[in-house]
Amino acid sequence: MSNELSRANPESTDGSKQRSSRERSTPPVERYVFTPPIDIHETDDGLILRADLPGVSLDTLELQVQNNRLTLFGRVPQVAPEGARLVHQEYHEGDYLRSFILSDNVDHDRISAKLTNGVLEVFLPHTPKSQPRKIQVSGS
Amino acid sequence: MAVFRWGHSWNDALSDLEREVDSILQSVNQTFQGLRFGRQHPPINLYDLDDHYLITAEIAGVTTEDLDLAIADGVLTIRGGRKLDEGADENRYRRQERPHGSWQRSVSLPERVSEDGLKADLTNGILQIVLPKAQDEAPRQIPVTGG
Repeated sequence: MSNELSRANPESTDGSKQRSSRERSTPPVERYVFTPPIDIHETDDGLILRADLPGVSLDTLELQVQNNRLTLFGRVPQVAPEGARLVHQEYHEGDYLRSFILSDNVDHDRISAKLTNGVLEVFLPHTPKSQPRKIQVSGS
Repeated sequence: MAVFRWGHSWNDALSDLEREVDSILQSVNQTFQGLRFGRQHPPINLYDLDDHYLITAEIAGVTTEDLDLAIADGVLTIRGGRKLDEGADENRYRRQERPHGSWQRSVSLPERVSEDGLKADLTNGILQIVLPKAQDEAPRQIPVTGG
């Protein structure tokens, strides 16, 4: 787990564009990047991963697999309209970022995902087991 | 996570003090800030707009069927919950960080809120409750009789 807290450009849709305030002439709006809680559940066919991403919609979710690493990044748009005065605060708005190393027996081509009520569900199917193959031994 | 719960004092000067103390305590908690684990009660935020209040809550995975809003005697009660995922065998979890179960939160409303105009929306796991402020009544002249 990394990237628990950082300041990012609020316009940014790409985690790599995060900069510290020192690099900018104008002070950036404070933006949090959170590690979302997840469940990983085993089934007969593979693994099911669920992550709580409240505020993330299909348009603001990026899910990608690269080099055996599954990365999810969900951007959360600001809920309250401009000019709203925050009277009481129990949570900060921020984006969600987390990545996972996939085991070798996950079939990358068949990974599927859906997003329902702010919960992302990713199905990571096992690669089909190869059938044992008899090897003919020739001898003299 | 805010330490003070908002109640009756959120419209007066005490809220400044609350915020001050909160920010001090939050700096202590900064290390845990990025992790959103283990919250049994969904966190809420409250905004003041010119003609209404807005309450937002993070309740991912809760459906409208499992959500219940009630208002009585100036107290807004939010009840909800979510079950362990259907068909999931508890013994086959490799990792379990998302809280489940039912919860309830009660919020004392300020006096001047029009309870009839309350509206709520649940989209992408964010609950938004709009509480219109009650209109000011026109001053009423009281006739004084004298001898």
